[in-house]
Amino acid sequence: MTSIDVHELTKDYGGTRAVDHLSFQVRPGRVTGFLGPNGAGKSTTMRLLLGLDRPTSGTATIGGQPYAALPEPLRHVGALLDPQAAHGARTARNHLLALAVSNGLGATRVGEVLEETGLGHVGGRRIRTFSLGMRQRLGIAAALLGDPAVVMLDEPSNGLDPEGIVWIRELMRRLAREGRSVLVSSHLMNETSSFADHLIVLGKGRLLADLPMRTFLESRSRLRARVRTTEPARLSELLGREGYRAVPGEDGSWTVEDVKAEEIGAMAAREGIPIVELMDENTTLEQAYLDLTAAATEFASAGRQEG
Amino acid sequence: MAATAVLHSEWIKIRSVRSVSGSLAAILLVTMAITVLTAATVGRAEADDAGAEVLFGAFYALNFGQIAAIGFGATAISTEYANGALRVSLAAVPNRTRFFAAKVSLIGAAALGAGLVTSFGAFLVGQSFMGEDAIGLGEPGALRAAFGGGVYLALMALFAAGLTFVSRSAVAVLSVLIPFILIVSFVVGDVAGSAADYLPDRAGQLVLHQYPEGAIGPWAGLAVTAAWAAAALLAGWWALKRRDA
Repeated sequence: MTSIDVHELTKDYGGTRAVDHLSFQVRPGRVTGFLGPNGAGKSTTMRLLLGLDRPTSGTATIGGQPYAALPEPLRHVGALLDPQAAHGARTARNHLLALAVSNGLGATRVGEVLEETGLGHVGGRRIRTFSLGMRQRLGIAAALLGDPAVVMLDEPSNGLDPEGIVWIRELMRRLAREGRSVLVSSHLMNETSSFADHLIVLGKGRLLADLPMRTFLESRSRLRARVRTTEPARLSELLGREGYRAVPGEDGSWTVEDVKAEEIGAMAAREGIPIVELMDENTTLEQAYLDLTAAATEFASAGRQEG
Repeated sequence: MAATAVLHSEWIKIRSVRSVSGSLAAILLVTMAITVLTAATVGRAEADDAGAEVLFGAFYALNFGQIAAIGFGATAISTEYANGALRVSLAAVPNRTRFFAAKVSLIGAAALGAGLVTSFGAFLVGQSFMGEDAIGLGEPGALRAAFGGGVYLALMALFAAGLTFVSRSAVAVLSVLIPFILIVSFVVGDVAGSAADYLPDRAGQLVLHQYPEGAIGPWAGLAVTAAWAAAALLAGWWALKRRDA
């Protein structure tokens, strides 16, 4: 009932394809990280989900319904798009009240979300006096107004101080624990890995990966060592005998998967193979993500794994 | 989602931004200030002039009040087009026609209320300075002019609101409409013949004359202004419906 379903979604702006036959599902009870470099189509997808932009083709639904068909939509879906969207001349309380009233929510609820987002003491202040972090919290307060089962946050940690980042991380995890569908976009892998249970990665408007966070971590944190020797034939034969796969690099070095540098060192020493260079070469999460998205920009290929 | 809830929400938006509520109040304040100034200084001298139109002269200050009315209509809409505010609004009220209708009817009602108070107020206060030259609401055409003046102000606010939905900028609308009303219409209106009677401001102001001269009568003139406002609103509604927010 509360899942987000995107099916073959495509959006063109003029001659530019922002979202390209995108299909994925966001399920309740977990935080889904929506990753991709700037311009990958994350914000566009969220706008299409909210019915703000019209898709060129395909569908984006919430609980099986288009957003515009939801009665009092804030009670079903809460979204943070742009923290600058609130009019600077309004007080935080009036900004939230105008939104709340349109969906049959009252001033009491406004007070509650102001407290929940740490803005209780500044509710009467004009928004133009707010820092980016406070505007971000106000945007999150607006998203929480209707106690929605689906929460969509576009780059929520932008402008937050370290304390705020911890707070938003805990908030997202709690919302997921309460059984809500939580979709959070970011262009930073390391940040996303700290709160997401599931990953959807976009590149150039296409789906690059749709898999559990743990699978992504495991698939990307493989051991790997780089070695250079004056006797490559003997080293290659030794590694093959021990069951390792060695791939020659362009610069004369060899890359060996699933092995630590110290193991290669010990084996080579036993065999008396001279080693001139030897080091561990573990890919970082950030690097793995960059590799994934960089490939997308070159080949624009889409892959999909069931999560 | 109840229509009244959306109206209430839009009313909170109007009253919570000072530049918007300020221009609504300015319709009355500016008109009254100009009325008092002119009536107290040159009012009686003008009234002695044999060629003067006493009734039309009584509403002289509406020329300034209409600038405030246009400002109100434009800024009430343009606040939605700053920094993606419209996205937040439409996420709360995805039915764009309902959103549009609530905004427009509220602007219309607020401007009509302010406009009627302004128009009757300007007439009555202005005449209180005129001594034995004063005319009352019983004067032929006076009641029609005072009522029509209020409606005229509301129509100009709606005209500006419709144009702002299309242009998405109050600055663009104000920088076209205000010079148009102050200069183009003023100059052309006196020179040209019947065609000028169909300009949005000239047509509507026919209702302020005791004996309108020209191709169309006072109510027809107001209807022409209403048609301009309706056309601008229709274009605005279409733009809101069609565009990506």
